[in-house]
Amino acid sequence: MAHDADVLTGAALSGNPEQYGHNLPLIDGNKSYSQVTAEVFAPTERRPPALWWIAIAITFSMLSLGAWAVFQTLTRGIGTWGLNRTVGWAFDITNFVFWVGIGHAGTLISAILFLFRQRWRTSINRAAEAMTLFAVMCAGTFPIIHMGRPWLAFWATPYPNSRGPLWVNFKSPLLWDVMAISTYFIISLTFWYIGLIPDLATQRDRAKTKLKRTVLSIFSLGWNGSNRTWSRYETVYMLLAGLSTPLVVSVHTIVSMDFATSVIPGWHATIFPPYFVAGAVFSGFAMVLTLMIIARKVMNLEEYITTRHLEAMTKVVLATGMIVGLAYATEFFTAWYSGNPYERYVFLNRALGPFAWAYWMMVGCNVLSPQFFWFRKVRTTPWMIFILSIFVNIGMWFERFVIIVTSLHRDYLPSSWAMYRPTFIEVAIFIGSFGLFFTLFLIFTRVLPMIAASEVKGVLKNAEH
Amino acid sequence: MPNTEHLRRSRFRASFADPDRLLFAVKHLRAAGHTVLDTYSPFPVHGMDEALGVRPSRLPRACLAFAALGLTLAFGFQIWSSAVDYPLRMGGKPLIALPAFIPVAFELTVLLAGLGVVASFFAVARMWPRLHVSDLHPGANDDRFILAAELAMDTQFSAVAADLDALGAVEMSLLVEDRLVKGASFWDRPAGAGALILACLPAFLLVASVPLFNRDFQKRNLAWDGGMGAPVSAQAFDASAVLRGGLVLQAPPPGTLSRSGAAPLAFAPGKTEAERAGRELINPYQPTQARFNRGKAMFERVCATCHGREGDNNGSVVVNRGAFAPTVLVSPLVRDMPDGRLFHIATYGGPMKMKGYGDLLSREDRWLVVLYIRELQKAAARPTSAPAVTPLPGGVQP
Repeated sequence: MAHDADVLTGAALSGNPEQYGHNLPLIDGNKSYSQVTAEVFAPTERRPPALWWIAIAITFSMLSLGAWAVFQTLTRGIGTWGLNRTVGWAFDITNFVFWVGIGHAGTLISAILFLFRQRWRTSINRAAEAMTLFAVMCAGTFPIIHMGRPWLAFWATPYPNSRGPLWVNFKSPLLWDVMAISTYFIISLTFWYIGLIPDLATQRDRAKTKLKRTVLSIFSLGWNGSNRTWSRYETVYMLLAGLSTPLVVSVHTIVSMDFATSVIPGWHATIFPPYFVAGAVFSGFAMVLTLMIIARKVMNLEEYITTRHLEAMTKVVLATGMIVGLAYATEFFTAWYSGNPYERYVFLNRALGPFAWAYWMMVGCNVLSPQFFWFRKVRTTPWMIFILSIFVNIGMWFERFVIIVTSLHRDYLPSSWAMYRPTFIEVAIFIGSFGLFFTLFLIFTRVLPMIAASEVKGVLKNAEH
Repeated sequence: MPNTEHLRRSRFRASFADPDRLLFAVKHLRAAGHTVLDTYSPFPVHGMDEALGVRPSRLPRACLAFAALGLTLAFGFQIWSSAVDYPLRMGGKPLIALPAFIPVAFELTVLLAGLGVVASFFAVARMWPRLHVSDLHPGANDDRFILAAELAMDTQFSAVAADLDALGAVEMSLLVEDRLVKGASFWDRPAGAGALILACLPAFLLVASVPLFNRDFQKRNLAWDGGMGAPVSAQAFDASAVLRGGLVLQAPPPGTLSRSGAAPLAFAPGKTEAERAGRELINPYQPTQARFNRGKAMFERVCATCHGREGDNNGSVVVNRGAFAPTVLVSPLVRDMPDGRLFHIATYGGPMKMKGYGDLLSREDRWLVVLYIRELQKAAARPTSAPAVTPLPGGVQP
């Protein structure tokens, strides 16, 4: 067994180390620095393969379907959705929370793993941060569409207006949400961009065409690799990581407060913030795994994103999956212990009511499926991880659906009970959000280096530093 | 003289294939009395700051200052807008509800600290979009580890070159043109971070004071659009693409009761029901001057078009057009009908020609019209020399 210090430093054990886990090299193939540069930047310098065109054709079709559905929503009204007076939040907010949750993995990998000196993050942080940005974009569209008049979305910001000025209500969790999501997006974008600058400079130096060189010169800000700049750069990177760490926790905490500060049985729970954050990390890592397993295969990056990386992420999925499972159980206990008949009813209704199928799907995908990660064979076999990560994605979507719809559809007054069923338009918008996500990700893989080359070079000889 | 001496020292650079060799070379050159100006590498070489004698960056202080600014602005603005400028009590919470202000304050603190420290970094490191990059070695962002240094006094480059070769330099050259030297930046001086914050302060104050100066209570400010003042609402008689029947206005479901009117009549349309109404209903309104006036007005507005102002078909539009002759109200036939039956006909229409006016006239108005018809009949029964309608009919209290 390895010692804790080896986990932190990534150092190999002396003697005869077991060739497993953190004793494996971070990057396979015994690469030189110039080889890393060439291989990381190669996808941005050649024409995309046929597979890429097929993929983007599919994702762009999905995006177009979503755009059509959004157009229908905006021109015909929210009546095109399956919402009713009892279930006023359903697919849209489910999708919003789902995407925001996915958006947590990127900053978690960049910031928290950076502070914990988990050097295996270097191969995946760039793509995970990009994924975060795209996921937050997908998330942001849902509340804005749900406004019905999205061109008035700026009303959610405190700006001097002709109505008093009537300021936004700073005591409302929905406003906290606006602030949290927009701050998260801006800081994540900044963090991602700061991390990109050295690689943009490398890309600039390798650019063949004048246009590419000019654009990259603008964005690489005259980077020349000077040690004085590196020194400040590392300070700034550390500071941003330190700032992002509480930020990433705060975002889903505040999202959970959208629910927890209301008095709806099933929502009004103090467990929501930690429960949501754990769920976000859980779903985010599952999505990173899904994307990375495809990307490493398609883009021949198996030597950079090794099974060691995948295995480390599956451990996070297993741990957070169990936290989420514990939260499900705690919710039931709290409902029983509260003695509140409404609260008790909501939870019985979740597990046994008309949406019981969704509840048990959630439990099966989120609590049972990660248990396979106890086996090393599963943790190190990409196709098995891929299947399980898909299950986790499905389960986490259903978790939000269960929390939102089952709590709303039967609340205090039986005369206002109702059922919810999504319309085609809602499903199409959801499909469209996947289209947006994957289209942006596919473009990203061809335009920018998917792997942080400067960071990978720093860990090539990990035992020496 | 010694102050300018160093300017004449020659500068040279050397590149290595490995960060450890570069680090060792830097230490060696500094020990030998040369001045290493900077190193260039594709990733940060750890231990290089100490080897070069670069002090730790002061950017954390700028970050702290921006964080404090964000925290202050956020709490200040929330308190001012919620408790001073537009005090609006919500959910029974106090106007200054500090716990409720924490999330936004936290987010703004992080936002300003993050953006502020990045802006400071760009300013300090002189990073901005530029097409020509100074001091750029072709391998610096790829796989080379480069140092730029000044020769020590009384040393020849050839001696250093031999040293560098032994240290494993891949390439080295004496620099003719000095482009690798940067003077100490303004921001590197101790006052730098403070000056930066001072420089940013006016902008922040300006932004923060916009709501203070942008107030004119006398006139309506510029609205960005129609907004709440011009809602996109459906009008009753508009066509609708969504609602049943293609109309906004929907028929109430069967059995709907009016909230303002009286209870529904216990009579259906039809002649038998009209006769039953004649037996069972009596006019609940006794004649008064006011009811007479109201009945007259309603009769002349609704009934007289067909029946004539006197109830004798004189001036009837349908008669004049040659359509058909309505029943003469002052005829003995109608005179002999009970009040209830007239009321039923006014409500549901006659057996042949007349439509019902239950939808146009309220129940009270229909009874008053019946009262007025009785007065017309009385007037018609009098000798023709008498005035057509007595100003004060019988039974009316003066």
